[in-house]
Amino acid sequence: MTRAQSRTDIGAVDVLPLVRLAGVTKRFGQVLANDGISLSIMPGRIKALLGENGAGKSTLMAMLAGRFQPDDGHIEVAGERVRFASPREAIAAGIGMVYQHFMLVENMTVAENVLLGQEGGFVLHPAAMRRKVGELAERFGLGIDPGARVGGLSMGERQRVEILKLLYRESQVLIFDEPTAVLTPVEAESLFTALRTMSAQGKAIVFISHKLEEVLSLADEIAILRRGRIEGEFLASEIESPSELARRMVGRDVVLDIKREAVVHGRQVLDVRHLSGPGLDDVSFDLKRGEILAIVGVAGNGQQQLVEVVCGLSRPDSGEVDILGQSWAKFFQSRDWKGALAWIPEDRAGLATCRTLNLTDNLLLTTRQGFAQGQWLERARARETAKGIVREHNVQPGNIEAQAWQLSGGNLQKFVLGRELYREPRLMVAEQPTQGLDVSATEAVWQRLLEARKTAGVLLVTGDLTEALTLADRVVVMFRGRVMGLFPVTDTAQVERIGSLMAGLKE
Amino acid sequence: MILKIRKREESLGWGVLVVYLGALALALAVCAILLALAGKPALEGLVILFRGAFGQSYSLLDALVKAIPIFLCALGVALSFRMQIWNIGAEGQFALGAVGATFVALSFPGLPALALMPLMFLAAMLAGGAWGLIPAVLRLRLGVSEIISSLMLNYIGILVLEYLVFGAWKDPASFGFPMTAEFVPAGQIAHMGPTLGLSLGKLHWGLLACPLAGVAYSVFLSRTRLGFELAACGEGERVARYAQLPYGFLVLLVMGLGGGLAGLAGCIESSATLGRLQPTVMAGYGYTAIVVAWLARLKPWPIAFTSFLLAALRVGVEVLQLELQIPAAFGQIMEGAILLCVIAGQFFLSYSVTLKRSRPVAAAASKGERA
Repeated sequence: MTRAQSRTDIGAVDVLPLVRLAGVTKRFGQVLANDGISLSIMPGRIKALLGENGAGKSTLMAMLAGRFQPDDGHIEVAGERVRFASPREAIAAGIGMVYQHFMLVENMTVAENVLLGQEGGFVLHPAAMRRKVGELAERFGLGIDPGARVGGLSMGERQRVEILKLLYRESQVLIFDEPTAVLTPVEAESLFTALRTMSAQGKAIVFISHKLEEVLSLADEIAILRRGRIEGEFLASEIESPSELARRMVGRDVVLDIKREAVVHGRQVLDVRHLSGPGLDDVSFDLKRGEILAIVGVAGNGQQQLVEVVCGLSRPDSGEVDILGQSWAKFFQSRDWKGALAWIPEDRAGLATCRTLNLTDNLLLTTRQGFAQGQWLERARARETAKGIVREHNVQPGNIEAQAWQLSGGNLQKFVLGRELYREPRLMVAEQPTQGLDVSATEAVWQRLLEARKTAGVLLVTGDLTEALTLADRVVVMFRGRVMGLFPVTDTAQVERIGSLMAGLKE
Repeated sequence: MILKIRKREESLGWGVLVVYLGALALALAVCAILLALAGKPALEGLVILFRGAFGQSYSLLDALVKAIPIFLCALGVALSFRMQIWNIGAEGQFALGAVGATFVALSFPGLPALALMPLMFLAAMLAGGAWGLIPAVLRLRLGVSEIISSLMLNYIGILVLEYLVFGAWKDPASFGFPMTAEFVPAGQIAHMGPTLGLSLGKLHWGLLACPLAGVAYSVFLSRTRLGFELAACGEGERVARYAQLPYGFLVLLVMGLGGGLAGLAGCIESSATLGRLQPTVMAGYGYTAIVVAWLARLKPWPIAFTSFLLAALRVGVEVLQLELQIPAAFGQIMEGAILLCVIAGQFFLSYSVTLKRSRPVAAAASKGERA
């Protein structure tokens, strides 16, 4: 897709926007989370913000909601420049946000939650509060009992309470972060009806989503965010089908020049046959030494469940999983720390490392068996090894006494990768290994994963198609726990269809 | 004007000392105010307190004696705090330890000291450890919060002790007082003074348990694989699952060992200080131990130092009670005040607070425009 085909800042020609972002930029250290973003949010319109994990959607919305301040560019509300110092100021300016994790007091009623902090006096009038909230709910088509206790409500009903909180505070712009992620299909449908009602009454709605059909059925305008930039903005009516949208969303750009030389494939290291269970539906694939197999798909389509089974956190429900020639049960009963399985989880700061331990201790986290004589731990040797890893992988700062939280995401990831490679795995699972990393760290991680092929098979779980196509030999596309396609990256016809397959479409 | 709060990037250095001394001064000021409100001379009260605690060699020795059970209990709870298991039950484990030791002392009075003493230690540690394992098992099997269950078991443990000294184990020669018969000499830990030819007051050989336990504690944590796994588990169960740490086993281990240490303290206290079991053995050392472990940030040397400090405070308050007729609860109030002030002060170790002039939103925006 070229820039000429897509307009950015779509609403500039229309009536005065409620909120306008002008060249908003946000950096976190070396990482450019948002890069010169311009958007207009119009009254009475529903705008969808589409993008992969780590594309910068959440950062952008957090700035609108007053949680971060832009480093560059500015935000206008009703034509006036503003600078929100806190979420409270954003709410006062009429911008409210419904987060994925609701913030409600469980043992208070719906009406009490809505009016919390807005009681307007020392003495409460429960009946009047319930009446007010009931009227508001009715006006926007949000069916709910104002006297019900929040603790007994479904997720859909709780979401309605969150919306009512914003409506009561007379928010003109309502932002939703993946609003249907926690809802049943029926609840999602009634949310859509309510959103349309609100938009018909002049509210501006912004919602973040991964789900293509839902974006097409609900949104008036669609903006696509990739690597911190707006990649395109168009009217929903311009899009013919979900697969067209998917193609525009994933795009294809080669950011780095990575040479992938062929490595001779060796023995099978992972064999998954007809694996089903929660979130997984008849998944089959295999992986050989010397190969990188990419699992691609929109987040939340069974990738996490698959990784948990392969890494031994959950037992396969039905079907078979063989690892390094052994059955799942046998492998995890007697697995060795070295020469077997290594896992680079998505959450490198909270799962792969301990925040308050230094790098030596974080090395020991998964390699302690190799540094112990009986019960005695050989810390001196571990320190030398940690120093070696830090040097070899160019981890900054090069001080092994540094605690994990003091490292940037990229450097922490390089350290985790170095640690896991030290275990000389024959099967390596890498989950979103470059998410949130800058270009140089991404390149370093990619090089290491390619090198790892010499001794291991690599299962690469990623939402980044560029990464998958740059590194992998074969690609598995997952949708709702099913394998939509399994093909080599050289199969250009199939590769063209990845977008559609990710959207669950098999033409 | 607004307060700006930021997370510190680097540690405070010598500022740490200033923060701690400031917190201590604040706690003492609060206590002085309380004294004044009770109609007592505040400054004179503090002077009496200090003289009582640190003024004479015998008061220092007395503090050392009291520090022994506090130190052992504090090591025990610190072990579980390391992995974020909140063992509030040292008091009950201490009680069970005293009961276990007494059982052995009363059952086998004919044994020589070399057999009887180790047997008493063993029984005390087993009983205390078993008492500590109950909340651990409840947590692992049924998801019961160990904070609640270990706290509740304190009351049960103390009642078990009282049931025995008021009933089955009561000394017929005690004129109705709730206490067991005095242990045979072989079951009593001797004072250090006579053996060493020095005048050491009530200081007894139980003191030796402290360096032994302290060294074992620090070697275990810094040198062994299990000790490392314990520290790593402190980051939560998810990391434990990722790194295949034996989380459940470690919960049992720290609660068992913690209970064992508290039980050992109970044995030493009844055998050395009282020479028998009676309800006064429960002086609240198990609760003070929690304060100590927390103030010392779970490190062995600071635990030793803080144990002594809070033991000295107890001695000082005893003197204050005599001289100014202050109720005994004043000691607990002081402990609480110090803990709260220090914990509040620790906020300043990880955050910096600065005053800033607030700028109106419009002014900030126009400034941005010029830039």
